Amino acid sequence: MEPSDRDLMARLAAGDKGALDPLMERHHRRLYRIALGYLRDPDLALDAVQETFVKAFQNASRWDARAEVAPWLVRIAVNQSIDQYRRVRRRRTAEEPLAEGDHSKTLAVEDAAPDRRLLGREIGERIQAALLGLPDRQRAVFVLRHCEEMTLEEIADSLQMNLGTVKSALHRAVRRLRETLEGVRA
Amino acid sequence: MRWLHGRWRRDVSLLAAGALPAAERAAAERHAAACAACAADLAALRSTLAVAAVDEACAAEPPIAVEWLRARVQARLDAAAAAPPRRARRAAWVAGLAAAAAVVAATIVSRPAPPPAAGPAVADGVVEPEIAVSDEALERMERTMARERTARYLDEAQDVLVTVSGAPRRCDRKTQHVDMGDETRRSRELLARRARLDLDGSAALTAGPVLDDVEKVLREVASLENCARRRDVEAIHRHVERERLLMKMELMTRELAG
Repeated sequence: MEPSDRDLMARLAAGDKGALDPLMERHHRRLYRIALGYLRDPDLALDAVQETFVKAFQNASRWDARAEVAPWLVRIAVNQSIDQYRRVRRRRTAEEPLAEGDHSKTLAVEDAAPDRRLLGREIGERIQAALLGLPDRQRAVFVLRHCEEMTLEEIADSLQMNLGTVKSALHRAVRRLRETLEGVRA
Repeated sequence: MRWLHGRWRRDVSLLAAGALPAAERAAAERHAAACAACAADLAALRSTLAVAAVDEACAAEPPIAVEWLRARVQARLDAAAAAPPRRARRAAWVAGLAAAAAVVAATIVSRPAPPPAAGPAVADGVVEPEIAVSDEALERMERTMARERTARYLDEAQDVLVTVSGAPRRCDRKTQHVDMGDETRRSRELLARRARLDLDGSAALTAGPVLDDVEKVLREVASLENCARRRDVEAIHRHVERERLLMKMELMTRELAG
């Protein structure tokens, strides 16, 4: 029988690095999508996922054994994405603000038709523009709902936010999206 | 009435996003069915979110296999384990200075003793040298050494990246694989040293971005197989070129070395 996430975390807390492998196998795709949804840059998203697992190992002894593992990893991934974003924004402020987007990198989905891919990229840019003016946590709320279809309770649990705050954050993000995507047709 | 509509406005947003729990959803749907403004609002938001569903980020797959990710995480953990905490580094440095002071003292002792009246305090033939180094001087020396360490690190990293960007030899005649054994090993060694680079102040601000970029590329190199696919190596080379990393490293090395 496959060990549960909790079993793996217990091994990790005991210093067994080998437990990271199955955890990475199970969770890296989802964490990557979340990081990419937030950062809109494949390299940065990969860095954020990598740091998520580094932190998971380093902080495993502090993990509450009663808590679910997936929301904990999501929380770390969101925090890492926020950190990455701030770091890059600081660095690029003068020459290449992330605010204006570095769209040279592709987010291409392999099987998408070219016109669909182009549209996807344009929409990705608009979504980025829409999310940009939102505070960090509001952005994270939108990404978790938009990309992962998490429920409000799951989002609140993952980000350790009040349910009402999650609702307000999602509402604001949706409204901002409405303004920036106006006129675009799928 | 206005406040009440404000509340519905939020619920309509959440309804459009499909995020309302069942009970609240039913109430919001009832309201939207009876309120033309909210119904129009709901339709517009749903149309927006249908467009947003085309967002590629939500369907993207990681650009590297999980084995590579594993190698990168391992390299980071190794580097973190190799780096002593800052306080320990400082203590080690001061201990090093104390050791140097002891050597100086021993040298002084081994010399013929000066005439008793003119020299420093002598007790039983042992000279007690007064080695007074101010905190400020210590900090200055520590900063200089940190800059030199970083310049050496960048210099060696440049060597690795120049080789990667050059024409690595094939390790397999039948396939397009190239020999990266030496580069991956050197990259891992450099990554382990990266965590010990402790620039601070303006030097850290100036060199930080270049060091971060170099670390990222070294991690990519470190995660290559010894006999690596040529296209993976070329991808690293393209990144180095695009970021003009070798030039930035060269300039930063010169600046740090003074």
